[in-house]
Amino acid sequence: MDSTRNQPSARRFWSWFIPLRRDIGSWAFALNRATAIGLTIYLFLHLIILGKLAQGPGAYDQFLALTENPLIKFGEWLVVAAAILHGLNGIRVVLTSFGVGVTRQKQLFFGFMAIAVVVILIFTARMY
Amino acid sequence: MSKPTPSFPASGPRPGENTWTWLLKIVTGPLLLLILILHFTVNHYLGSMSSGLMTYDDVIKYFQNPVIVAIEILFLVTVVTHSLLGFHGILLDMHPPRALLVISTWLHVVIGISAVVYGIWLALTIASLGS
Repeated sequence: MDSTRNQPSARRFWSWFIPLRRDIGSWAFALNRATAIGLTIYLFLHLIILGKLAQGPGAYDQFLALTENPLIKFGEWLVVAAAILHGLNGIRVVLTSFGVGVTRQKQLFFGFMAIAVVVILIFTARMY
Repeated sequence: MSKPTPSFPASGPRPGENTWTWLLKIVTGPLLLLILILHFTVNHYLGSMSSGLMTYDDVIKYFQNPVIVAIEILFLVTVVTHSLLGFHGILLDMHPPRALLVISTWLHVVIGISAVVYGIWLALTIASLGS
């Protein structure tokens, strides 16, 4: 057994983001983790920003005006795309966790990612 | 017995992860997806301009329905639970020392409870602004 398996390893964490010598399962895993981190950061920023509602219409509407900025709009697009990818990839994880499609993970992954691309394209067309 | 697809990590609790919290993370996932679709549709495709709740007045009006407030609070609890359990799982992947793991677990609990309390206070405050 690999004795280093349970040792602290920040290198192993950063290796998720290195796209070299990866197989498809590893990509699916990395995609799930990367989108999870992004969405968690967004969640807490979103909660803080919604606090502007308690400060009255001036503060909130002033903030909403910022959402017309192309950079903020692109940030919104990234969040939605990440949520779609994480959600659909997550369905595969849930299914296989309960023993469904365990031998067909590759097909499940490609199927859900194809749906994700279509949904993201529809969202992009509506947003811009 | 069928073998898992090669190269895909096995699904299940990772070493050091509690089975019940892992199950909670897995169950909150699909629930979150359903509420998120509802939340997103309402926030971006309803409202006075048919482009979502794009003004302060739209949001206040939307929060006058107690069912909406209940759904938003359910959404808050689900998303905070799922995200923090997921984030904790990611930390477990790094195999941190035990002492650091204990501190991190409690930090997650404190952040989670604080976020839920703050979110509920905010939802109720917004609802009260219309009355």
